[in-house]
Amino acid sequence: MNLRGLLGRFVLYSLLVIVTTIVCFPLIWALSTSLKPKSEIFAWPPTLWPNEWTLENYSALFAGKQAYFQGGSASAGAVPPSAFFLDWFMNSVIVAVGTTAISTIVSTLAAYSLTRFRFPGQRVVPYLALVGYMVPSIIFVFPMFLVMADLSLTDTLLSLVLGYVCITLPFCMWLMWAFFRGVPVEIEEAALVDGASRLRVFVEIVLPTAWPGIVAAAIFTLIVSWNDYLFGRVFMNSMENLPLTVGVMHFFDGTHVDWGLMMASSVLMTVPMAVLFALLQRHLVAGFGAGAVKG
Amino acid sequence: MEVRLERLSKSFGANAVLKALDLTFPERKFITLLGPSGCGKTTLLRLISGLERASSGSIHFGSERVDHLAPADRNIAMVFQSYALYPTMDVAANIGYGLKVRGVPTSERVDKVGAVAKVLEIAHLLARKPRALSGGQRQRVALGRAMVRKPDIFLMDEPLSNLDAKLRATMRGELKRFHLDLQTTSIYVTHDQLEAMTMSDLVAVMNEGVVQQFATPEEVYDRPVNLFVAGFIGSPPMNFCDVIVTEQAGRAALVLAGRSFPLPDHFNLSRLEEGRRLVLGIRPQDVVLAERDDPHAIPGSVWMVELIGSERLVEVEVAPKVRVCAEVKAEVRAVLDSPAAVAFNPAKIHLFDPKTGLALPRSDGPL
Ligand SMILES: Nc1ncnc2c1ncn2[C@@H]1O[C@H](COP(=O)(O)OP(=O)(O)OP(=O)(O)O)[C@@H](O)[C@H]1O
Ligand SMILES: [Mg+2]
Repeated sequence: MNLRGLLGRFVLYSLLVIVTTIVCFPLIWALSTSLKPKSEIFAWPPTLWPNEWTLENYSALFAGKQAYFQGGSASAGAVPPSAFFLDWFMNSVIVAVGTTAISTIVSTLAAYSLTRFRFPGQRVVPYLALVGYMVPSIIFVFPMFLVMADLSLTDTLLSLVLGYVCITLPFCMWLMWAFFRGVPVEIEEAALVDGASRLRVFVEIVLPTAWPGIVAAAIFTLIVSWNDYLFGRVFMNSMENLPLTVGVMHFFDGTHVDWGLMMASSVLMTVPMAVLFALLQRHLVAGFGAGAVKG
Repeated sequence: MEVRLERLSKSFGANAVLKALDLTFPERKFITLLGPSGCGKTTLLRLISGLERASSGSIHFGSERVDHLAPADRNIAMVFQSYALYPTMDVAANIGYGLKVRGVPTSERVDKVGAVAKVLEIAHLLARKPRALSGGQRQRVALGRAMVRKPDIFLMDEPLSNLDAKLRATMRGELKRFHLDLQTTSIYVTHDQLEAMTMSDLVAVMNEGVVQQFATPEEVYDRPVNLFVAGFIGSPPMNFCDVIVTEQAGRAALVLAGRSFPLPDHFNLSRLEEGRRLVLGIRPQDVVLAERDDPHAIPGSVWMVELIGSERLVEVEVAPKVRVCAEVKAEVRAVLDSPAAVAFNPAKIHLFDPKTGLALPRSDGPL
């Protein structure tokens, strides 16, 4: 390689390192803070590499609330918020998985019928689905809260699932619609001629072809339902029913913030998504790309 | 298996695409549906395959009426114009899918797929995905998928249209060869008349949803039944000129651009009245450049000259806006706008009624 090529590479990699550092710094800082004892968090000069290592924040989060509820009920005030962390985490997992399952399945079926069956309005429906995204979701939250209240669903995980399905389904459907439009009808017809039933064609021919789109839709839904704060804040109120995002706000108690717990929860919230991304990123890129071109 | 269509019609809304077709495709023949774009060829194929429902009329395979049957139950195989390979499956799975669906055990399936792949010379590609194949290879996979099932009827929708000229010529021969070996009734859609002429036992020339002529390639070429078939078949297309019937030395004659020449022998004199207007059709291959003083030649001036390989096309304007194209040897020189004359091979003259478009009855009978 000649000198210019080498120099070009050097500049490129330096830029990559700088950008990566900037992007990752908050994460690294959170990780570092979560592993420091309280005394060191505000130490000056700040330490990126803790002088003293501790897992006390994590063990507080994983302790669970059993200790406080042994032998009858504890008064709510006596239980520290960190005791509910495991509940919150499970709530978030349940809500995210439930939302993702519903949104992905329903949007896939809806998008398929939108591209394959003829009915009035076939063309406008996918675009109408996007209109909702022009309005900030806070506009929808309070009407939805009233609906949930009428249905006596407030403070249940189901209300969160339904709320997230409402805001993710249209986009997923549009994404899958763009995908199915790119799947030529002929390959389905070829399978029909080959002797397959309609259902078999859908399962064996259409779904595998649309797989990147399904992955993209699933990841989108996961991200939205895992990271949302607004719906959880409005719909839920008992401590043990909160999703993670709302729950960790209890580490602020008006007068002081427990940064160690806060950062440890942030790390634990980020890890599942980061792992998922690492596993699925190839599908994700293919999915969004295909949707963008055809849509 | 014989395919019979009775009063078969198909409309999309108000658009009548096929109009009361009555056709019988005999068993074991290679039949071509030939016609311009949009004439309903694909629609007809889809009706036969069951992917589309007829608006009225019926379809019979042998003695069985099939129009109520799903594609899966008709035991047909179809090669789609776009090949329509399953993108997520490798070549072997593509070819074997029909067998898998029909519950053929894996070991038998592998054998059959292998055998077909060998015939098609794609055995080395079995593990590849369709996107890693060239157009010609994809086409072979599509053919293999159809062949492996030993269907009663083969339906092919312009399978060669995506290939380059050379590969197309090779594949034409191979397809014909497969048909000779397998003897499966084949219905082949194309708008390439060379394919139709070289491959078929019978050609159905279609236009605007109506079969214009259903006959052997020779007959379609030499005895076109109407102006459409005459103009559609043959390259370069047939010349058409308005002529008037007259009498010359006690015999019927035709007048074109002020020159008269005897009526060819294969037309029935008694049926032609003097003064009747007709359309004369003559293929460029049957036109020669003549001396201007030849009494039967029609004089004019050279309007356009084009070289097409070993031949040269010379268009001669014999009257304002009336041009006759002659296909001559490439060595023949013709200078633009220079005087020239054309003469017709009388045996090859076609005459049509301008009102009905139908060919005039001939006295020499069929081929
Ligand atoms: N699903 C459909 N809905 C409405 N009109 C259709 C449909 N399919 C075909 N047509 C119309 O039917 C006519 C015949 O179409 P068809 O595809 O059979 O033509 P073709 O002869 O195969 O043409 P080509 O040589 O271009 O493939 C066209 O006018 C087309 O617009
Ligand atoms: Mg077609």
